[in-house]
Amino acid sequence: MEPASLTLPAKAESISVFREFVRRAAAAAGIDPGELEKLDLVLEEILINVARYAYAPDQGVVEVACSGLGHGKVQVEVGDYGRVFNPLELDPPDLSRGLAERPIGGLGAFLVRSMVDSIDYRREGNRNVLSFTFPNAGPTYPNADPT
Amino acid sequence: MNIEPTELDKAVLLKVSGRMDAENAHEFEEACQRWIAQGAKHLIAELDDLQYVSSMGLRCFLSVAQKLQASSGSLILCGLHGLPRQVFEMTRLIGLFPVFETPEQAIASL
Repeated sequence: MEPASLTLPAKAESISVFREFVRRAAAAAGIDPGELEKLDLVLEEILINVARYAYAPDQGVVEVACSGLGHGKVQVEVGDYGRVFNPLELDPPDLSRGLAERPIGGLGAFLVRSMVDSIDYRREGNRNVLSFTFPNAGPTYPNADPT
Repeated sequence: MNIEPTELDKAVLLKVSGRMDAENAHEFEEACQRWIAQGAKHLIAELDDLQYVSSMGLRCFLSVAQKLQASSGSLILCGLHGLPRQVFEMTRLIGLFPVFETPEQAIASL
C-alpha cells in the first residue's frame, strides 16, 4: 500500500481529524477493529505532545503518514518542524508511588511505549519524526504476567 | 463525553459516558471541582459507559483524587472495563483508587 499523508495545524483540535485519517488506513491494513481505540490513544498522546511542546502556541504544522505493512499491521509516522524533541528519552514515570506522591504527568509517553509494537525517533534535517508500528503482537503491556 | 451528576446522602455520583480525551478531560475535572467546592467529600465516578480515556483524563482522575484525599474524602471508581480499565491497570493507578463493580457497592462502603 502506498503511504498516505495528512498535514494539519499542530493543535489539539486537529487530533480528531487525524484520528479518522489513521483509522481509515488501519481498516485498509486489516487491523482488528478491537484495537482501534488503542491506536487512537497512541496517536492522541503523540499529537498532544507535538501540539504543546514542538512550537510556540498556535504555530506550526504536524504531518501524519500511514502505510500498511501487511499481516494486519500499520506503520504511522508523525513529523513536525519544531524544536528537537525525542519523547522516547523522557524518564519513565515511577508507578510505585502512593496517591499523594504520584506525579500527575508523564503517563502519556509510557502508554505509547506500552501499546505500540515498535517505536523510533529520528531527526531528519529540521524535522522530528516519530515512527511506530501497531498493534503489538506480544503481551498487552510490560507488566503483563507472561503466563 | 457526557457527565450526569446525582446527589446522594454521603456522596455525589457522576455518571461519565463517551470518550474522555485531551480536548474534553478538563470538563470532568471542573465538574468534580465544583462539587468539591460545594462540600462534597466523596465522589463516585460510574464508568460503565466510558469507552476511552487518555493520559489527560488520567491526570484529571489523579488530581481530583489527591485533592479529595487531602481532605479525608475519596474518588471512588465503578464499572471500569475495556480500554479505560486497561489504562488504569497499565499505569498502576488502579491500586490508588477504591474500585467497585457497581455504585451500590461503592455507596455501601461509605
